Amino acid sequence: MSLKYSIVYSAENHYDTWIADAHWQFLIIPEENDTQTHIKIDFKNSVHAINEDSVNGYGFKTIRVQPREKFKDISFEANFSLVKKKVNPFDFIDELSREQAYKIVQELEFKVDFEPFLRTTHFTAIPSSHGKIFSFNGSKSIFENLQDLNQWVFNHLYYTTNATDVNTTLTEIISNRRGVCQDFAHLFCALAKQNEIPARYVSGYLHQGNGYFGDSQMHAWSEAYVPGIGWLGFDPTNNLIANDNHIKVSHGKDYNDCSPLKGVVYASGKNKTKHSVQVVAQQQQQ
Amino acid sequence: MLARVADNLFWMGRYIERSEHIARYLSVNYFSSLDAPNDLSQSRPFVLRSMLFMVGEPQADKSMDIIEEEVLFNIGLNPESAYSILNNVKNARENANSARDLISTGLYESINKFYHFIINYDPAVLVKNGLHDFTTNVTEMTAVLRGKIRGTLLHNEAYAIIMMGVNIERATQIIRMINAKYRDALEAQGSYGDKFSNSFEWTTLLKCAESYDMMRRLYKKPPNSISTLEFLILNPNCPRSIMNSLNQVYKHIRDLDTSKHYNKNATAFLVGKVRSEYEYKHIEEIEGDIQNFIEDILSRLVQISTKMEKEYFNY
Amino acid sequence: MTKIKNQIFSSYQRNPSLYDEIYDNDGNVKDVYKKLFDLYGEHSIDDYASLNVKARSSFFNQGITFQVYSKKKSQEKIFPFDLFPRIIDPKEWEFIERGAIQRSKALNLFLWDIYHEKKIIKQGLVPMELISSSGNYLHQMMGVDPPGDIYNHISGIDIIKHNDGNYYVLEDNIRCPSEVSYVICNRTALKRALFGVFNHYQTHTVTDYAENLLELLETTKPHGVDIPVCVVITPGMYNSAYYEHSYLAKTMGVELVEGRDLFVENDFVYMKTIRGPQKVDIIYRRIDDLFIDPLEFRPDSSLGVPGLFAAYKKGNVTIANAPGTGVADDKAVYTYMPEIIKYYLNEEPILNNVHTYHCSRPDELKYVLDNIHQLVIKPVDEAGGYGISIGNRLTKEEIEEVKKQVKSDPRRYVAQPIMSLSVHPTYIAKKESFEQRHVDLRVFTVLGKEKEFVLKGGLTRVALKKGNLIVNSSQGGGSKDTWVLKK
Repeated sequence: MSLKYSIVYSAENHYDTWIADAHWQFLIIPEENDTQTHIKIDFKNSVHAINEDSVNGYGFKTIRVQPREKFKDISFEANFSLVKKKVNPFDFIDELSREQAYKIVQELEFKVDFEPFLRTTHFTAIPSSHGKIFSFNGSKSIFENLQDLNQWVFNHLYYTTNATDVNTTLTEIISNRRGVCQDFAHLFCALAKQNEIPARYVSGYLHQGNGYFGDSQMHAWSEAYVPGIGWLGFDPTNNLIANDNHIKVSHGKDYNDCSPLKGVVYASGKNKTKHSVQVVAQQQQQ
Repeated sequence: MLARVADNLFWMGRYIERSEHIARYLSVNYFSSLDAPNDLSQSRPFVLRSMLFMVGEPQADKSMDIIEEEVLFNIGLNPESAYSILNNVKNARENANSARDLISTGLYESINKFYHFIINYDPAVLVKNGLHDFTTNVTEMTAVLRGKIRGTLLHNEAYAIIMMGVNIERATQIIRMINAKYRDALEAQGSYGDKFSNSFEWTTLLKCAESYDMMRRLYKKPPNSISTLEFLILNPNCPRSIMNSLNQVYKHIRDLDTSKHYNKNATAFLVGKVRSEYEYKHIEEIEGDIQNFIEDILSRLVQISTKMEKEYFNY
Repeated sequence: MTKIKNQIFSSYQRNPSLYDEIYDNDGNVKDVYKKLFDLYGEHSIDDYASLNVKARSSFFNQGITFQVYSKKKSQEKIFPFDLFPRIIDPKEWEFIERGAIQRSKALNLFLWDIYHEKKIIKQGLVPMELISSSGNYLHQMMGVDPPGDIYNHISGIDIIKHNDGNYYVLEDNIRCPSEVSYVICNRTALKRALFGVFNHYQTHTVTDYAENLLELLETTKPHGVDIPVCVVITPGMYNSAYYEHSYLAKTMGVELVEGRDLFVENDFVYMKTIRGPQKVDIIYRRIDDLFIDPLEFRPDSSLGVPGLFAAYKKGNVTIANAPGTGVADDKAVYTYMPEIIKYYLNEEPILNNVHTYHCSRPDELKYVLDNIHQLVIKPVDEAGGYGISIGNRLTKEEIEEVKKQVKSDPRRYVAQPIMSLSVHPTYIAKKESFEQRHVDLRVFTVLGKEKEFVLKGGLTRVALKKGNLIVNSSQGGGSKDTWVLKK
């Protein structure tokens, strides 16, 4: 079984003064993987600049735009359609015993291989004053602990828009207990890493047909690595295991590696920006 | 060559040239006025106002007091006034600095020495009794720089661009001097015949352009308005004339733009057009309407500079 | 035998506990210096003082200066230059050169490994913290094969001679090693001032650095490029090393560009020339990693080129040194150099490392805390001689302060025995005489694809304050021309 999705991403920028030098990089193309296959990628900008396909430092596909003519208004619209395989998130074979898995996590080779996703980063640093907030229960499997962590983050934070912004760090989030998907994902990653499980931040789209939290922007969740199984997606904002409603774009150590839109704009005046995302499941296929 | 660096070289040439003309204008006017044949030409405020007019800082209100020390400082060494010789030399060096890998060590060293000479010059000395020393040094150092440009750089694109800057600036400064002296001549008229035409200011103008001796050799008569303007504007053999500068600009743009088919949007096309117009101009056409002529040539020079910027320096 | 009257050294005071580069233990001038000693001795100290003034003004007029910014106006200063050269005999140099190449190559292999399989860490030979606690480790470089397999094209290795007469390496600078232009300027200045002395020595030239650099950089051109276009990228004319950037570009015969002169289109890099875009294949960058591409690294960088890293990752442009090379410049990596050399080259280190105590190891931390008075304490993440404490120079209170700092973050500190840098006669203008001053030696190496080059000369840096051991120019150091003899 699979779903066909169509996604519309749009962004609008208005500047008070003329802009002669600007560069944008979009990290918004759904990743192609076991469960996601592209049908169509279409990207337009309003100033008829060339859209260049490239990759970022972590190998994810990007679109770069650098207008040659000056402008005050610019808008971008991306249309993607893709097929997403319907998968049962619990449908995996755990080849290792609980003890074996915990042992592997302690091995040097494992730590070295997963170093990027075990290191503390700007957005996944928990202030030392908090100590260990969530400790794994050794009598449960890693997967079970991660499910508990997912639930814990979901319960601990209240989904609130405008309480945080893209620069808010965990220090503030942990004490205010409010945030959006980005903050949920960072907290999940931080606590998994504190328990020596590699975790990464995932940026993507959420199909909201089923009433999940996620607003009309891009969504964020987490992936954690379980020895013997592999990377598994957890959506702490919705207390879910990532499923066929989650369309992944990229992953990284934290938001900094996944920021959907990066811009270098040499502007002196003020500017206004608007983004929106629309995800539609078009049909179900056999 | 990088577009940005070309821009820097162009302006390096312009600033070097500009500092020379300002320096000479200061010194010639000041010292000619000391024994000028009529009272007005001798009057210090008259001379100082002429200097200010030439650098683009005209003093409209003649009733205002004008202080010699202030004017000399402002035009010579004031870091706050954009037109000062100090700022011109500073700008020349900054531009040379960012093109430092392209110009010769010898040229850079001379510009650098020039800069250090200027910034270390004591303003108190300049305004008291150093004007002659200061301006002589400036004009000599710019001559050295011109020699180094010609003698230590490969005569390639970079050279052509510097020389375009030098010559466009030269034409501009000569016109500015003509403009200032034309106004002075209207006020300080001569004592016989056509008083405007026989003003002492024409002699001063020729000296400001370092062309007095050349002119006397050619005309063998005291200068008047018509012969002075003819010499400074139209004589292609006078190295400081507008015509000569335009010829130089044309020669150098042809080194840059070697295409046989002219594109009407090219800088080379515009330079060629302006040059031919002046080549076939007669001094009577100019004399009748000097003010319009001055404005026309200034705007043509700005057009050429802007066009170059678009075609070559746009980055 | 009549001794030549040597006025200018008449007041030279030799401290026998220091290793003097020109005198042996018995107080005799060493063979290689004898001729020079006599030649200089023919001058009076007044001659010497006037030559010194001339040399300084030559530096000043050539604009070989750096800016010092103060409240009102910025001032230009020259790097102090000493007219008495340092001489290294061929045998000693051959040893230094082999040692320098060995280290550069080992570091290159180390960099390859830690950005690929990380074998040296997995085998437990060096700790994982070398990458996991380093701010200079770029994950974006994982799995990237740099053109020609070279990371540290350009290295500057700081070497000293201890009072045991042996050379020790203090630092491997491979982030953006600078000051090579001073080697050449010093030589030029010395030739201008005292050309006669060169007639008596056969000295290797130092003016061939740029041509070798360009040739070796070209061996690491991107795949598929026939004749590569190379540029030097600078942060701009207000950077303190701008003179060097322009010098290198000029002598290599390539363009000196700023970030705004370049742009990336379809993952190729172009420079904006008066004739339109021209493709660029090799970039010798003098901009730190995090500033090279605002779309990939620091978004507030206006020095870099948006999209440059993507072009690099695709293999369309060479960047020298490769992004991420700085991780091997961390002082923590230095302390494992003997292990690194043995592991990758299966050789014994030629040049000594100074023994290093890691404050991150509890037993070594204890030793350090107990023996601070005879150790140098260094933060692992500072460059330019900042944050260094020299144990035997500290007051009791200062020792306690350093102990407190080290204890609060042991991982940040390493300690080394106090090395006694050798001394060399140096003209001290204030005293109008020659005095002993501590010196080190920066050796410049260039790695290309299956080819390498060491500049036969290096920069002898001298601490101008009496007794001072820190020679960095940012800390008031000067420099000397350094002669490597042909025979």
